[in-house]
Order: sequence, then C-alpha cells, then structure tokens
Amino acid sequence: MTEVRAEMVANVWKVVASAGDTVADGDTLVILESMKMEIPVLAEAAGTVSTLAVAEGDVVQEGDLIAVID
Amino acid sequence: MSVPDGLATGARATLRVAVTEADTAQAAGSGDVPVLATPRLLALAEAACVAAIATRMTPSLTSVGIAARLEHRQASPVGAELDIEAELTEIDGVRLVFVFIARPADGADQVIGAGTLERGVVDRERFLARAEGARHRLD
Repeated sequence: MTEVRAEMVANVWKVVASAGDTVADGDTLVILESMKMEIPVLAEAAGTVSTLAVAEGDVVQEGDLIAVID
Repeated sequence: MSVPDGLATGARATLRVAVTEADTAQAAGSGDVPVLATPRLLALAEAACVAAIATRMTPSLTSVGIAARLEHRQASPVGAELDIEAELTEIDGVRLVFVFIARPADGADQVIGAGTLERGVVDRERFLARAEGARHRLD
C-alpha cells in the first residue's frame, strides 16, 4: 500500500484518476494549484487506486492524504 | 506541465530604460517623491526576466510572477538611464529563479537595485481558465 500525500498547501484543481483505476508509477492522479502554478501529483507506485481522498475545489494542507494505491 | 526543452539556466537579457515622470513614486502612488518608484523597478526587473526566456518559450506557455525579493539601493531621478539585467539561475520543475541587477547605463560602478525573482511556467489558456474559475468562486 502506498499513500500519496500533499507536499504543500494547495487547491485541488483537477482530479484525474478515480478510485478503482489501475495506474502506473508516474501517472498523474490529481493536479493541484499552488502559487498560481499547476502541480501534478503522481502515482508513486503501480497498482490500483483504492482511495481517492480529495475532490476538485478542496484545499489540502501539507501532509494531507490524497490517494492510496494498493 | 513542464518547461520547454530549450530553456536552460544562464539565459539572460538586459533592458535599457530612461526614467520618465510616469515611472516615479509620485505617479505610481507608492510614495510622494519624483524618483523611480520601487514597484516600477520591480516591473522592469520582471520584464527583463520575461525577455531573458522569451525566445525559449512556446506560444502556449507563459510565465507568471510568484515571488520577489528586491533591494532598491539608490534613487534615480527623471531622465536617468538604467540597465536592468536578469539571468535565469535555477529551474525547479516549473518554477524559475532569476537574479537581476540594475545599474546606471553610463557604466558607473554602482548598483541601483538587485534581487531575486521567481516565476512559474504555466499553460496560458489553462491558467486563464483557472483564474476565471477563481472569480466564479468569489461571486
């Protein structure tokens, strides 16, 4: 199980992946917006997205859970 | 989202400008004396950064200012000519770090201003769409 967490305070701009999706290492899960820039959040392992913990428009804090990949 | 392939540290540009009435603190509203306004110096430094990478950007990409640290060390009266040089010193993902220095255009060994500016590379259309979205959220 790999937890993907936010590395900064940001707005969730786009949710690209969905729970149940099969992803490869490096696939984009979510695109955050911070400091006016788009910051892609990538899968850190291959597997199945078992949890997608954010929705578009959410604000995440550093360390918040974004997704779990099994 | 990534920076264009041809963008590399060391890219630089110099702008030569003459201070006009429109550039003064009085005109900018940032003070009440008729010398180069600090926010105007910042705008010129940002313009030098944009010029430094202009030939390396693609039409769909642009950059936006995200952070600035600026020292304004010496006053410049109306008519003074300045050279403002910016150089790209770091690329961290889509974040670009520049240093700039403003000197008298006559070559005098003085520093009028200096600092570090950060700009973020963004997709122009998506950036504007996000900005529109932000406005709708505020409505």
